Amino acid sequence: MAKKFKITICSGTTCYVLGGAQLMMLADSIPAELKDQVEIVDSNCIKACHFENAQPPFVQINDYLMSQASVAKVVDYLRKHLQEQA
Amino acid sequence: MNYINNASLLKRQLIVRFARLMFAGKLKERIDYLPMQQAPRDVAAVRCCVHHDRAVIRYRLIALLGFAIENEKPEDEARSLASYAEEAETLGESRLAGSVLTVIDEACSACIRANYRVTNACRGCVARPCIMNCPKSCISFENGHALIDEKVCISCGICAKVCPYHSIIYQPIPCEEACPVDAITQDERGKEDIDATKCINCGKCLQACPFGAIMERSEIFEILRAITNPAEPTVALIAPSIIGQFNTSLGKLVTALRRLGFDHVAEVAWGADLAAEKETAELIERLEHGQTCMTSSCCPAYVEAVDKHLKTIKPLVSDTLSPMQYTGEWAGRQWPGARRIFIGPCIAKRAEARRSPHIENTLTYEELGSFFIAAGIDVTECEESKADLEASSVGRKFAVSGGVSAAITRAAAAGGHAVTEKVINGLDTKSLATLKAIDKIVKPGTFIEVMSCEGGCINGPGVISNPVVARRFLEKMLEEKQP
Ligand code: SF4
Ligand code: SF4
Ligand code: FES
Repeated sequence: MAKKFKITICSGTTCYVLGGAQLMMLADSIPAELKDQVEIVDSNCIKACHFENAQPPFVQINDYLMSQASVAKVVDYLRKHLQEQA
Repeated sequence: MNYINNASLLKRQLIVRFARLMFAGKLKERIDYLPMQQAPRDVAAVRCCVHHDRAVIRYRLIALLGFAIENEKPEDEARSLASYAEEAETLGESRLAGSVLTVIDEACSACIRANYRVTNACRGCVARPCIMNCPKSCISFENGHALIDEKVCISCGICAKVCPYHSIIYQPIPCEEACPVDAITQDERGKEDIDATKCINCGKCLQACPFGAIMERSEIFEILRAITNPAEPTVALIAPSIIGQFNTSLGKLVTALRRLGFDHVAEVAWGADLAAEKETAELIERLEHGQTCMTSSCCPAYVEAVDKHLKTIKPLVSDTLSPMQYTGEWAGRQWPGARRIFIGPCIAKRAEARRSPHIENTLTYEELGSFFIAAGIDVTECEESKADLEASSVGRKFAVSGGVSAAITRAAAAGGHAVTEKVINGLDTKSLATLKAIDKIVKPGTFIEVMSCEGGCINGPGVISNPVVARRFLEKMLEEKQP
């Protein structure tokens, strides 16, 4: 079965230094009920930081680009959207 | 503990802006605009208003330029940042004398003044033992609730003890609670002061302050000047804990450092290999002379703790130099006259480097990461290259707690000497008390590794990665290296 959420964590240098380092803990923080719904990958710079006034770190969840991402924000997003689509 | 902290992210953003100006050669022209750019009018203020935010940012920039905020005179409030930049240039490194930490008054005074607070569990009882027993008469009643006057309270805690509802709580001041040696205390105005005769530069207060009020007096001004000046040779001496800081390989990082402007790159883990060798020989010799145990000497915060607070165990501390110093010494012979810049996670190393003839400057990973962003260098996209001086995995393991003692007991065993190891993982009041009588506690023939930071240098005050992630990364890389 395809996973519901594909999460791409940007670990390009800009994102990583400006808060993205903590996102490497995301896999450890996904609640049990969501575990088999998500696939997490990290990637080189996804180029979102190249825009003026960009607010790194970035995480891409399916089509949604989250700026100033944090573990808590991502988990919150997953919870909300799991219910919406269910 | 290392958790995601907005104060340190804001500091990194500011260093990025600072470094961009230095790369463009426009620091003096533009530095006075940075507080406005970092805290623009149309964005919600963190403090009471945007002007207060900007005032704090101004002080951060003064600390980034290497000055101690404590030395500011009242009339300096009107001084431009450009004039500080000018002064940094004319005074040179003499301005860096004194403590490596400085406290931003404007940020610090937002903290609590007293350690006791009445919560809304207060029932406003008839007995009112809090009021009756407060020796300073600083409790009053408002809207049926007790209220402590923070300015008068002496934090004796009597009110909390006598409240029948346990409604008065103890609230520690974060930096004071974090400090293992009671070196930081509030003055009469409520601002924290660091007592340099007690401080061991461990950086725990800086990590603990939720207002980011404690700043390092940075050396980025000279470092950026040196790496942008093609005529000045520079060496990056990278600490073992750098592995795992950028989520990428050491080889890519070496290339990124060269692109940033460093002429040479040397792994301090090489010095750790050497230090392990010397320390093993020293340990065996000392044990043969009847000494019961010996402690490591590579963590400068621990060495300062011994010098300032545990003088009686000084004879137990190894005389071996730190890996940083050995590597610096080597680099000095290899590239005479080059500026040797230690890159690490550590504030105590900054203080050690200022006393050492083998190191000119120190830079933290946070600062380095910010330089990469400012220069537009993405480490993960660099190609691999080799450092000028490489190390073995023994030295690289110095970055995590247990790495030093493992190296030494193994080397001793290889020479036919059975040595017991003990690891003191993190300095706090408890472990300092243990250390005081350590020779009575351990078995004869013990090597004791002491690290100020819990988990080792990968949890130092200047790291980027979460220490759990950094440790995983380091272990993975060392496994790949030696199957
Ligand atoms: S650096 Fe360490 S020893 Fe010095 S005041 Fe801060 S917590 Fe205390
Ligand atoms: S454990 Fe490492 S980073 Fe922490 S104070 Fe000691 S040498 Fe510095
Ligand atoms: S580094 Fe993350 S978008 Fe560029």
